[in-house]
Amino acid sequence: MTAPATTSSARNAWENAALSCEGITKAFQGVHAVNGAAFAVPGGQITALIGPNGAGKTTLVNILSGSMTCDRGQELIGSTDVTNWPSHKIAELGLMRTFQLSRELGGLTVLENLLVAARDQAGERLWNIFLRPGLVRRQEKDNVERALDLLETYGLYRLRDARASDLSGGQKKLLEISRAVMASPKILLLDEPMAGVNPALIERIGGYIIDLKRDGVTVLMIEHNLNVVERICDHVIVLAEGRTLAEGRLSELRENEQVVKAYLGEVINAGTTR
Amino acid sequence: MSGTWYYIFTLIFFLFDYFILAMGLNIQYGETGILNFAYIGFVAIGAYVTGALSLPKSAGTGQYYILGFSMPFPFNLLIGGLTASAFAVVVALIALRRLRTDYLAMVLISLSLVLYDVCNNYVPLFNGADGLYNVPEPFAGVLHLNTNSFIPFFAGVTGVVALIMWFVMSRIMRSPAGRTFRAIRDDDVVAAALGKNVFRQQLKSMIIGSFYAGIGGGLIIQFSGSFNPTAWLPGETFVVFAVILVGGVGNNIGLLVGALVVETLLVHLPAFLPAIPGHPGLIEYFDAVLIGVLLMAMLWFRPQGIVPERTRKAGAFGAGERLGAEATVAGEEAVTGDEAVAPLTRSAVQPEVTGQ
Repeated sequence: MTAPATTSSARNAWENAALSCEGITKAFQGVHAVNGAAFAVPGGQITALIGPNGAGKTTLVNILSGSMTCDRGQELIGSTDVTNWPSHKIAELGLMRTFQLSRELGGLTVLENLLVAARDQAGERLWNIFLRPGLVRRQEKDNVERALDLLETYGLYRLRDARASDLSGGQKKLLEISRAVMASPKILLLDEPMAGVNPALIERIGGYIIDLKRDGVTVLMIEHNLNVVERICDHVIVLAEGRTLAEGRLSELRENEQVVKAYLGEVINAGTTR
Repeated sequence: MSGTWYYIFTLIFFLFDYFILAMGLNIQYGETGILNFAYIGFVAIGAYVTGALSLPKSAGTGQYYILGFSMPFPFNLLIGGLTASAFAVVVALIALRRLRTDYLAMVLISLSLVLYDVCNNYVPLFNGADGLYNVPEPFAGVLHLNTNSFIPFFAGVTGVVALIMWFVMSRIMRSPAGRTFRAIRDDDVVAAALGKNVFRQQLKSMIIGSFYAGIGGGLIIQFSGSFNPTAWLPGETFVVFAVILVGGVGNNIGLLVGALVVETLLVHLPAFLPAIPGHPGLIEYFDAVLIGVLLMAMLWFRPQGIVPERTRKAGAFGAGERLGAEATVAGEEAVTGDEAVAPLTRSAVQPEVTGQ
């Protein structure tokens, strides 16, 4: 694969890619939301996907996670071509995602939201419910233990029996992330995990993401808060008008005139004067 | 047996039968979110197949129908249910693969109309507009039942069948499979992103629900001995919807209450009231109006139904010991969610990541 390898860290990203895409194109009634995007997400690291509004970031996440199909292009998870695979098959390979606007399973409790995400549940097969109830019960018990552990970690333990629809905005963000983690992801796509969240919770979510990286999860997150990107992300991809503008470390990208013009501009200046 | 008892056992039969039908529609609509507006079509398939299997060969009976194997109860009933399930697979392959919610509902209602027209007009299938009649009463010969004693007997049989089906349905609804159905109902995109094969799960839900529809239909033809197109006008689907919406979507007790209020009290009880002089049929029309008004009132004032769906608390998952130690955990964690300004729980982010 070739790519706009603008920097040495970008070249490393391609060599060590857990997830990569090339030439991804998606048009909505003639309007190109994504137009030939190509980048690599290095394994075991935290990568930020930044870019102005309308750059196609969310569309790209939808395509990469299988929630949407692309018109052209190729997507690889490791070396497996998963272009236009359905969501559930991509999820089976260990790619999980969260949504920009939290999409909780409103009629289920917080605990059940996590339990749904557990993988390979014997109790999802009807004959097991009646023919192997012991297996189903044991597995369910393990899953409940794991889900309660996660809820403790994410500060939602006391809300375990609440209906997910009754949670506040910030709590829903935490639920989204913990639910994706329950599915033991190898790659996690986070669509603005910190949007509309208070500064203290931003700190906490940042901490969770770093913990995930320590556990070996590859993270790709859409993020507008450059302060956060600077602190927690190892690699940054800049998207503009549906194309990859540049890849590399944020410090490298700051030197890139195109990037500064398209996106960073005043934000960078404001950041450096502080 | 006096006339009153005849009425009462008829009402009891319909209570149990509509409980079964409501459970079937509930797993499709209430649990999985499939707006199956063709539901009554699956009931009809179950009824026709059950009836046609128990009837003798068509030749010489004055009726025209397929099958005609003189099959004994309950084998004919089981096959009736399975046929409805098989039909559900066909319908799902046509309609469920690509369509969701309102478009799916439109396709399903069209399919139900097509099915109705075929059964009503194509006589060799199930005797057209006359429908099937003289269907043998199960066990009537063996137990020497006459018309009067058959009614309480079969109301009891239906009660037993309903009980078994209730047990099975409760197990499914409480299992991880039921939870996955509800996840799809709440948001199918999220369910897919979590690795659930949405079509496959919906197909499963359609198959189970249609089996219940088929059994419910089969019991009707066995009880009344006849079944024809006037019994399953496509609008009848909405009576079953009224049962589950009034009673409460997503829980079996609610469905039983819904069956009692809508089917027993509103649909069947008035049929036994004396007609208003000079206005024959007026009561039946008022029936339909009443159901409509009740449905609107429920949706307006109590959309969750008479008995709302309950959530399953953590204790119900057998996490008892753990929850016993709750006091200490809750103490540590004073705040949650976005009110929570507690420091990072597992790592201190700032010193570590700045200045790389």
